[in-house]
Amino acid sequence: MKKILSLLVLFALILGPCRPGAATVNLQTLIDKSEPGAKIELENTTYEGNITIDKPLHLIGQEKTVIKGDATGNVVSIRAEGVTVENMAIENSSMDRNSSEEYAAVKVYTNGNTLRDLAIKDSFHGVYLSKAHENTIDHVKVIGSGKGEIAAQGNGLHIYYSNQNVLTNNEIEGTRDGMFFDYADGNISTNNKISHTRYGLHYMYSNRNEFKNNIFTFNTGGAAIMHSNELKLENNQFVFNYGHRSFGLLLLSANDNQIENNTFYMNQRGLYIDQATRNLIRGNQIYQNQIGIELWASSNEQVFTENTIHDNTLPAVTLGGQGHNSWSKDGIGNNWGSSFPLLDLDQNGIGDHSAVYQSSLYELIEEQELTYLFLKSPAITVYEKMHQLLNNSKTMFEDDHPLVQSTNHHTYLWAALSLALGLLVFYKIWSLRSERIQQNKGK
Amino acid sequence: MKMNYIWKEWKESIRSKGLWLSLAIMIIVSLLMLSRSSGHGVEQGYYILIMNLFESLLYFIPILCLFLGAFSVFQEKEQKTLVMLLTKQESTFTFLFKKSIALQTVLIVPVFIWFFLYLVPLKFFFQVQLTDYGFLLATIIGLMLVFTQLGVLIGSYSRSRMQIAGIAVIIWFYFFFLHDFALLSVLPNITHDNVQLFSVAYFLNPIQTVRMFLESGLGIYSFGNMSRLLESFMWLTPSLFFLFNLLFWLILSFAGAVLFHRKEGFE
Repeated sequence: MKKILSLLVLFALILGPCRPGAATVNLQTLIDKSEPGAKIELENTTYEGNITIDKPLHLIGQEKTVIKGDATGNVVSIRAEGVTVENMAIENSSMDRNSSEEYAAVKVYTNGNTLRDLAIKDSFHGVYLSKAHENTIDHVKVIGSGKGEIAAQGNGLHIYYSNQNVLTNNEIEGTRDGMFFDYADGNISTNNKISHTRYGLHYMYSNRNEFKNNIFTFNTGGAAIMHSNELKLENNQFVFNYGHRSFGLLLLSANDNQIENNTFYMNQRGLYIDQATRNLIRGNQIYQNQIGIELWASSNEQVFTENTIHDNTLPAVTLGGQGHNSWSKDGIGNNWGSSFPLLDLDQNGIGDHSAVYQSSLYELIEEQELTYLFLKSPAITVYEKMHQLLNNSKTMFEDDHPLVQSTNHHTYLWAALSLALGLLVFYKIWSLRSERIQQNKGK
Repeated sequence: MKMNYIWKEWKESIRSKGLWLSLAIMIIVSLLMLSRSSGHGVEQGYYILIMNLFESLLYFIPILCLFLGAFSVFQEKEQKTLVMLLTKQESTFTFLFKKSIALQTVLIVPVFIWFFLYLVPLKFFFQVQLTDYGFLLATIIGLMLVFTQLGVLIGSYSRSRMQIAGIAVIIWFYFFFLHDFALLSVLPNITHDNVQLFSVAYFLNPIQTVRMFLESGLGIYSFGNMSRLLESFMWLTPSLFFLFNLLFWLILSFAGAVLFHRKEGFE
């Protein structure tokens, strides 16, 4: 008997320290025992198992606090109003796609909750707001499983039938969509960073949302706005959404949206507009994209004004016929950089004649998807010039009041550099030739 | 023996202006790009720099390497060192082989050293990813290899400097404009049946191949969810297309240099 007891003690001693950081208390029990409104300070440890919060509580973690789910459902379910969860890592929700429910690291079913300073990984969705209103999600970092099958994972922040939420300073990487709004109205999203996702931002049937100062990089599509109206997108950056047929911003069946002062830089297509009407696109910087604006004929009554659209391979193309869109408003058009030679003799900042852009590539783009592979090729310029000479071009847009560009120092610098290079090569050939002639004379 | 060639090539190169001029252009362009990209944030600015630097160098590397390669071989004809070597110990094949190795080494090593030093200012401005930087270096070196070797072919064939200038400009113009222009012209006729052939023609252009290799290597150009047509078009990975393109042009231009070699320059 003594031997058995000694062995048991030995096992206890060996097994105990084998689970470093494992919580000695069950977090769900702690929550159940707490009074509503209590503040629970969690330890620097890993709490295993899923939890449900069904009373207003304030859960605050420390630097190494982790809530690790059992991969069977949501890790944290919030079913009471006025809950705050902050400063911890949450991981390991179910990844099951065949269940009736889509699981998340944090699933919120109620209103007026706050999620702050959370790090989420190994979960299907990061945060899922389900019919939950007026919540705050701040400084939440969601890391998805990255490349692979898109459907195998969920979205960073999934907002479903949820209104008036505030989403700020979040970072999302490698999920299906970064932020997905489905039938969600009146939400405000600011200062979020989204990269390496399918669509950084995805609105479906979601109206009157605001989206400001966010950065989208390396996504298949920066932001896709579908069947959503009256949104405000301001001061966002859409950079390097660069893959095959990628885009900075897609407007599909989206109406009456305001897209102002955003930056579209180095995307395959800066703006891609299809079946959309009455959108105002003002004051945006659209540059170094392969196609600045791709506008399908099913789209009408867009207004483009005060945008700076330069150094794109094609500034704007109209496909599938001509729609009715305005390239200026109240006598103010767009700045097209050096795309058009413009005179401004009265020096009012507006060109003295229209900027008319003609292109022959529209047919190829419409008919052959491989055309996109050539958009970075210098041959495109030759192709366009050749077709202009043969009168095969079609007018893509006409800006009646183009803004006259300010002096670009970089242009001068490049011109000077190229000239210097040319002169040096010429000098080298000439001097060698003279040297050779003199040598021959010497002989 | 090869070391002698490299040493000789190095001494000749540092005495001439060509190498220094090319290096100076690369340094100026890379510093200009650094100043342009430094305002774009530590992470994305780094990738913006890499892509802009690549797109800018694309205008200089091919033409410079064509001229340097061609003039270096032609100099052997002018100085009669070629005749001496071929008479005594070398065949055309061994001479051109050793010359190519020496030339490639002398051109690539200084560029490699510069881009190693370039990492220092990069570290101050950006969050540097060394693997991605490796992809940039691989593309630059790949381009240099192909166009220098084509230069060797031009130098081996040509009998005067004007011939070299003419052929080099034609080859540069072909790869820069005509090849893609021809493909764009046949693009409407491309179907699923002939897309692989089209793909071979597309990836024969080293400029398009290195671009695709770099963009996919950096992870900024993804090939997820491709259509059937695009899937057939991308029947190899960009790395393999890059490798085969390198091998194809290196072997073809070297073989051309041996076969079409003409010993004497015009007197």
